[in-house]
Amino acid sequence: MSTGYPRRQSTSAASTKFDLPHMGSGRPVHRLGVIATVATFGGLLFGYDTGVVNGALEPLSEDFGLTSFSEGLVVASLMVGAAFGAVFGGRVADAQGRKKTILLLACVFIAGTLGCVLAPGAAFLIGARFVLGIAVGGASATVPVYLGEVAPSEKRGSFVTRNELMIVGGQLAAFIINAVIFNFFGHVDSIWRWMLVVALAPAIALLVGMLFQPESPRWLISQGRTEEALAVLKLVRSPERAEAEVAEVTHLAAEDAKESTGGLSDLGTRWVMRLVIIGVGIGFFQQLTGINSVMYYGTQLLTNAGLDSGVAIIGNIANGVFSLAGISLGMYLLNKLPRRVMFLTGYALIALFHTLVALTAVFVPAGPGQAWTVLAFLVLFVFSMQGTVGPLTWLMLSEIFPMKIRSFAMGICVFVLWMMNAVVAQFFPPLIQGMGMTATFGMFAGIAVIAFVFLACLLPETKDKDLAQFERDFKAKYGRK
Amino acid sequence: MSVAVAVTDSPEGRLALESAVAEAQSRSTGLLLINLTLHDFDTEEVPPGLEVTVINRSGRGDRDPVAAVIDEIDEHPEVDRLVLGLRGRSRVGKAVLGSVAQRLILRSPVPVLAVRTDRTRS
Repeated sequence: MSTGYPRRQSTSAASTKFDLPHMGSGRPVHRLGVIATVATFGGLLFGYDTGVVNGALEPLSEDFGLTSFSEGLVVASLMVGAAFGAVFGGRVADAQGRKKTILLLACVFIAGTLGCVLAPGAAFLIGARFVLGIAVGGASATVPVYLGEVAPSEKRGSFVTRNELMIVGGQLAAFIINAVIFNFFGHVDSIWRWMLVVALAPAIALLVGMLFQPESPRWLISQGRTEEALAVLKLVRSPERAEAEVAEVTHLAAEDAKESTGGLSDLGTRWVMRLVIIGVGIGFFQQLTGINSVMYYGTQLLTNAGLDSGVAIIGNIANGVFSLAGISLGMYLLNKLPRRVMFLTGYALIALFHTLVALTAVFVPAGPGQAWTVLAFLVLFVFSMQGTVGPLTWLMLSEIFPMKIRSFAMGICVFVLWMMNAVVAQFFPPLIQGMGMTATFGMFAGIAVIAFVFLACLLPETKDKDLAQFERDFKAKYGRK
Repeated sequence: MSVAVAVTDSPEGRLALESAVAEAQSRSTGLLLINLTLHDFDTEEVPPGLEVTVINRSGRGDRDPVAAVIDEIDEHPEVDRLVLGLRGRSRVGKAVLGSVAQRLILRSPVPVLAVRTDRTRS
């Protein structure tokens, strides 16, 4: 699903202005590795909790007698929670510190998971999933920031990438664990509760592990606690580098503060509004590719198309594998292809494979043959989506906005993105039931075409551009004269 | 004594700055340039030949431009005039959005000189 929260990197003058000694080797590097391992449990949980319904839904639906609409509600309530968690998580992390926020989120993960596992009925489950969603959204906003702030500048990108991979890896893990549990213990009552309870392990690992990790040095400096920041830096850098880095971190903390300058009244400026519309469109269309309908309902789709549930839940693993493979390719392509080319190619491929899925339901008779053909086109869709639009959306959102309104503008886009995620999750099951697979995927294909046109007309190119220069050029072109 | 000017990212903002420069010159005072745009002013954008203090908007505390301007005027007691740019707004625009200029006029502790871009004068 690739829902990270990357920081823009090119504005930080770190690489040019600050000539820093080598980050060090041995103990500090090992310590950094521990921090990354522990913090990315947040990403893993994010992936697991969003992916686990894919497989848990069918036994759950039988247990509680859900309709296609209430199935949607059970899935979507997490995304609505995540929309709020993503927007307010950053605020809490700024006020209370990254470490405290992640610890708090780990507690919410544990409470939400227990609530879901022990839910006596559908209404309770929907509420518990909303709470769990707050933790998911909060983790999506906080963990990459923490990682980026603890990592030395030359490693920042790879640390954040690692979190992205853990998110998709968490989904894949959920698919595999579901398939194993279902095929070996499918006869047990309420087996879905066992699928959900697995998430407790990484949540507890995150909680206990984070207790022993340091606070972000950048946040400490933003609070004027320079001594403590230096102590943290000495933990994760060579002594010379730690001393030298205080100036860089102080500079970055000041830049961060600037990012939350702009607000609602700045949307009255025409060129800023134009960028926000583009950003909102990018988030809106990313979710309407239907990527998450596959990630949440893949097993059900295959069952509908004619597979036994035990086989469908195994077949669904392919979605997770191709998602992970796609995102790995996507991360590589980000540095190679121009953004516009990559976006437009992505949406063209998405439209193609959605059309093929829709046609399969018409031309191939229902049964295993149809199901396997659908799966083949689904994984091709997942692969091309995660290889292009998935990671690119987040990168683009982190690049296009003027620095001084970035925090507010990204907040709007991320909120819209999660809410559209919820809308797709809510309405996909009723649509499949009401209109069938052909119409539903035909609709996704149509939306991908609209997205293609929208981006072809409006999207500016940012690759290899100095972002401050991009800002001036865009303003000169679209500002009021 | 000093003239303050609120410079927004628009033709009104540029006109306000021009008018404020003229005002400061005619009264032989300094200029407090409160930059409400989303970029920091560099030296080329600062009008020459005057004693200019540039205040760039920065941080969450400056999110509301009205509060940012009023705070600066409070911090600079020598300011005795505020220059603003106005433009005609459609009925829909007025209904949907609050006006920064209107709120500034109502809250400013010093007299306001308002200049309009779309004026027609024979």
